[in-house]
This record gives sequence, C-alpha cells and structure tokens, in this order.
Amino acid sequence: MNAKKLKKGCIIALILYVILAIMFYVIGGQQLQYRTVKTDMLNPSMVIGEITKENVFEQSLKMEGDILTELSLMGATYQRENTGTLSLEIVDLDGQILAKRDIKVDTLKDNEVFHVPFYDGINIPENRFVLRISAPEATEGNAVTLYAGNTVSTSRYEVSAPISIDDKIKLNGQPQEYMLCVDIISSQELLFGQYYWYGALAILLILVVFCIYLYRKNQNKMHSRILNVFIVMERYQYLIKQLVARDFKTKYKRSVLGIFWSFLNPLLTMLVQYVIFSTIFKSDIPNFAVYLLIGIVCYSFFSEATTMALGAIVSNATLITKVYVPKYIYPLTRVMSSAINFLLAMIPLGIVLVITRTPIKPAILLLPFAVICLFMLCLGIGMFLASSMVFFRDTQFLWGVVSMLWMYATPIFYPETIIADEIMPIYKCNPLYHVVRFIRIIIIDGVSPEPKAYVLCLITCIIPLLIGAFVFKKSQDKFILNL
Amino acid sequence: MITVKNVSIRYLMIYDRVKSIKEYIVQKLKGEIKYEEFWALKNIDFEVKKGEVVGIIGHNGAGKSTLLKIISGILKPTEGSVNVQGVVVPMLELGSGFDQDLTGRENIFLNGAILGYSEEFLKEKYDEIVEFSELGKFIEIPLRNYSSGMIMRLAFSIATVVNPDILIVDEILAVGDADFQAKSKARMMELMGGGTTVLFVSHTLDQIREMCDKVLWIEHGQMQAFGETEEICNKYEQSCIGE
Repeated sequence: MNAKKLKKGCIIALILYVILAIMFYVIGGQQLQYRTVKTDMLNPSMVIGEITKENVFEQSLKMEGDILTELSLMGATYQRENTGTLSLEIVDLDGQILAKRDIKVDTLKDNEVFHVPFYDGINIPENRFVLRISAPEATEGNAVTLYAGNTVSTSRYEVSAPISIDDKIKLNGQPQEYMLCVDIISSQELLFGQYYWYGALAILLILVVFCIYLYRKNQNKMHSRILNVFIVMERYQYLIKQLVARDFKTKYKRSVLGIFWSFLNPLLTMLVQYVIFSTIFKSDIPNFAVYLLIGIVCYSFFSEATTMALGAIVSNATLITKVYVPKYIYPLTRVMSSAINFLLAMIPLGIVLVITRTPIKPAILLLPFAVICLFMLCLGIGMFLASSMVFFRDTQFLWGVVSMLWMYATPIFYPETIIADEIMPIYKCNPLYHVVRFIRIIIIDGVSPEPKAYVLCLITCIIPLLIGAFVFKKSQDKFILNL
Repeated sequence: MITVKNVSIRYLMIYDRVKSIKEYIVQKLKGEIKYEEFWALKNIDFEVKKGEVVGIIGHNGAGKSTLLKIISGILKPTEGSVNVQGVVVPMLELGSGFDQDLTGRENIFLNGAILGYSEEFLKEKYDEIVEFSELGKFIEIPLRNYSSGMIMRLAFSIATVVNPDILIVDEILAVGDADFQAKSKARMMELMGGGTTVLFVSHTLDQIREMCDKVLWIEHGQMQAFGETEEICNKYEQSCIGE
C-alpha cells in the first residue's frame, strides 16, 4: 500500500478522533456528568389539611441521587384566595437546615403541581432529609394545603403503597396515615464524566501507537490482516459504489415519482398510524407524530436492509459463480443502499420536526452514532440471513414472520411505559429498542442520553455483527456448491 | 506468476439435495444423509511463468473449467494451494453481471467494476468500448430492449478492453454476426499475443498449436501431461484416435 496514503489516512483519523472527542464532550454536556433520578409521585387522593401557624408538617424523604435539584408538590387552595407565605425547609438528619424556600401563597393554583427548583443543587448526606412545611402567618380559613396519598399505580392498577412508620407524614410530630405527594429529582455524579478526559487521552495514545505499528508493518512489506482490509477496501470501493448505485437506480426505475417514494413511504405510513393511534386507540405520548416517525423510519431501514441482504448471495448467483469478488460485498452493498434510503427518510422527519415545532438542539449531532449502530446491526443480521438463505431457502419465509415479531417487540407505536416489568429483560436484549430509544432521546428531549445508553446501543449492535460475520466467513466457501 | 501446487477439489454429492431445514434435520436424525465423494481434480501441479500462453486440453468433464475457476479464485481447492500474482481477468461467461433495467452506459461501468477495472480506466476507455461494440446511440437505452447479439457485443467489448496481467479464456469467444466474429477473433488474438500470461481452454487443437507455448492435458481430474505444445497435442490426438 502506498506509504503516503497510509500516512495521510492515519493523520486524518487521529485529527478526526480529537475533534469528535471534544465535540462529544460539548454536546453530551450535563448528561455525561450527572445522572438524573426521578422518583414517582404517589396517586394524590387526599389533602393533608390546612397548613397554618399551629400545624407544622414534617415528611422524611429518601432520594436516589446525591444532589437534590428539584421538588414537585401538588397544592390545593380550598378554592379561595389565600395570602401569606408557605415555607419549605430541607432539614438533614442532624436537624440542620440545609435550605429554605418561601413561596407566595397567592401564586399557588388549585389542584396543580408546582415545582421548587434548587438550581445550585443541595448536597445531602446519606441521601435522607426531612421536608418541613410551615406557614407562619396563616390562620384557619386563610391557608393552603398539599396533596397526599397512600396508593401507587402499577401499569393499570392502583395498589396501596406500603408506608412504613418513618415515611408517614407527621403533623406536629404525630404520624398520619398517608404520605406527602412529592416528586424528588436528584442527580448523581457519574464516573464517566469525571474520568472522561483521561479515557479520551488513553484511547488517543492507543490510536497513535496503532498507527505507528501499521506504518512500520507497511514499510517492511509485512503481511497484516488489518492492512489487508484497507487494501481490499481501496480496491473494491468502485465496485461497491457501482453496486449501491445499481440497487438504488433499479429500485425506482419504472415508477413515476421515483426517488420521492423514499420520502413519501415513511411519511404515509406515519400518517396512517398517526390517525389510527390518535383516534381509535388513544395514546397520550407527547409529540406523538415525531415519536412514531422515528420508530417507523428505524424499523423500515432494519426491515428493508435485512430483507434485501437476505437475497444478496442467492440473487447474485450468476456473478458469484463467474467472477471472483469478496462475497461480503454483496450483503454490504445491499445494506448500504438501504442506508441511503434511510438517510433520505430523515428529510421528512426534519419536516415533521419543523411542523410540530420540536426545537432542534445540538444533541441531534449525536445521530450518526445511532445510525452507525443500526447499520452494524443490519449488516450483521443481513450477513447471517444471506448465508442461511444459501443452504435453506426457507429462511426467507421464516424471516418474514420473525421480522414482524421483531416489529411488535419494539416500541414503535406504543409507549415504553406499557411494557410490563416481567418482559422488560426481553426488550433490553433487543438492539432495535436501544437504538430507537437513543434517537428519541436526542431528538425529542434534545439531550444526550446517559452514558449507559451508548454502551448498550453499541454492545447490542456489535454482537449480531460479530455473529453474522463469523457465520458468513465460515460458510462462504460452500456457497458456490449450493447455488 | 501462477503456481498451482498439488491442487485437489472434492465434491460431496448428496443423493437428494436437501433444501429445507425440516428435511435436513429429519434426514440427519435418521442418518439418511449419505455423501458420495467425487474428486473433480486430483493433485494438479504446474507453474506458469510470466508471459507464457498455456493451453488446457481434455475431454468434456475432465475438470478444465473447474481448474480455471480455482485459479480465478471463485472456487477454493479442498487441498493444495494456488498462488497468483497480478490482476486476473476471467473471460468465463460474458455479460453475467449485466442488469436488464440499466442502460448500456450504466452497464459498462457496473460490469467494468465487477471485472475489477478502476473508475479512471473505465472513463478513459468508455468511448473505445462503445465504438468497438458498434452500439452507437443504443447505448442510452435499457438493456432489456437489446437483442441478444447486441448484449453479447457489449459484453465482449467490456471484457476485452483491458490489458490484464493474467487472462483466463474458456474457448475463444466469437460472438455476433460474421463481421463482428472476425473482429472479435482478431481482438482475442491481439490480446493473447500481447505479452500477457494466458490460460486458454479449447477443443480446437489447431488454435492451441497456433497460440500456446505449453499445454496441460487433464483427463478425469487427473493431470496427464504438461509440457511442449507439439508433443502433448500429438499424444492427445493419438489417445483420441485410440478410443
């Protein structure tokens, strides 16, 4: 291989890595440093009674994270105008007041949740604290109250929550039979964020060493498997380009609208499902159009790429028996042409984002990561199916059923919340679930997912790729005897 | 240039070709899958130096085409090894990479890429290919509207535009009408005489005698002889008469 080219490639790769590492840190932002934990509120079923200067309430609370960032409470005004202030104190286990917030009572609305943010965050030892609620100026008839409850929702049912004596709200020291309705948002510092630069630097060093190693090997004209990959890629890149162009050209060759179908197809599918799921089956997913379209676009890429790759070897039988070309090129090009289709389908997604006024945040730049993961998944499964198809033609029919099952095992048109806890482990094994969830977080929420999501996405997609590539490699010499 | 060392290839022939998973499992459990070994090639061992033209002769089913497929990398030998240095252009069956829905122009680039030509090379030689194929303005029409003669002419033009290191030819291809046949034959002769290494299968001994420096004779997958053209061709002729 040309030494100059290799040198240039290595330098470009290193610079690209540095840029990506910095960009990732900037875009990822808070999500890489802290993990936000939110506890669920009890079902509000009763009020705790008027909060007056005589009645002081104390609720001991426990949170998952280390730093308290927000409390949400549900207030009630007895449908009248009240005056004065409501005072909330965060007290630690030793009785020390860590923070205090005064809320003007007249800003409270009846039966509505209000948020009490702590912008700097409060570091709470042992993650336990007491919320003391008092109203020093309020009298009976001029006081507000807060909601409490003793039941929780599990999927569709309400069950009574086990409340221990410590968790019960205390009125002037007397435990009551219920617990305050409160949402605690806390955050936890992540190791990932703390050691990010060390990790990034370590990987950079490994890359540099690797580049020097490759360069040396190339200079000494030694045989290296990795160098070989580059040489093959260079040699066959024109063929790959031609085959992808062929797939793409022939796909829409005799249709009037041609390439527009790449935009129209996902859009129309979304419209149909949108109408069905927002009228017949009511769903309360916020920004449902975008939610649905992301699911549809990802799934149709997966389904199209795998179905096309499935026939890659069998339908190119005439070529394979006549000309030598590395055989993995056939499934690879099929997946690549579907990927182009997928990228085109991103355009209607952009349009829908604009129409629904979803703010487009820099987190959208993380999209390539998810696309690469999805690509690896499709390639892996495609390679597996392509080689299986050579030996057993039943594969094509079987795959039709399996891919349908796969569609229902991915939350495309239903919310994640309806998944029962018992079958959640199955979802966790589904790479498509992780990818779709990842894309939804970066587009709908506009933030980077937690570091764990990256790892899960990557691992669940690489495993099928490795399996597919292994099966393909082991069986490719026998293809020609079975075509 | 080409080193073929002790190459053997074995086929396992299953009596009934199993095509579904169910059948496979059922028969495997019953122990009914029986294979019969068949050695399509056995211990083939020879060397071709750069620039040599080597003819391969033998009766039908002797394993000539299988050998060509092994050398061009399509088949992997069961035993032995093949070492080929240089770009191989196999002219085994023309036009197998054509796509009926694409135009002649698009097919030139697709087929060229499959044969391993580079983009610059194809762009440079594009006019030459079109001119040689005599397709003229039809080059912009989808291939499904071509006559079979036109397709063959295009395929031949693409395959022979290159000057490869190693050329593998299964019978001299003479396609199209009489005029084009003469033209294509001349082109083949030009290619094979142009200093490239050629492996050449033919049943016409006259062609072999005319073109080849050396001859390999295969019969029933076994190597019968490898050596000077005249000597081997004579032996082969005698064996044919003897039968």
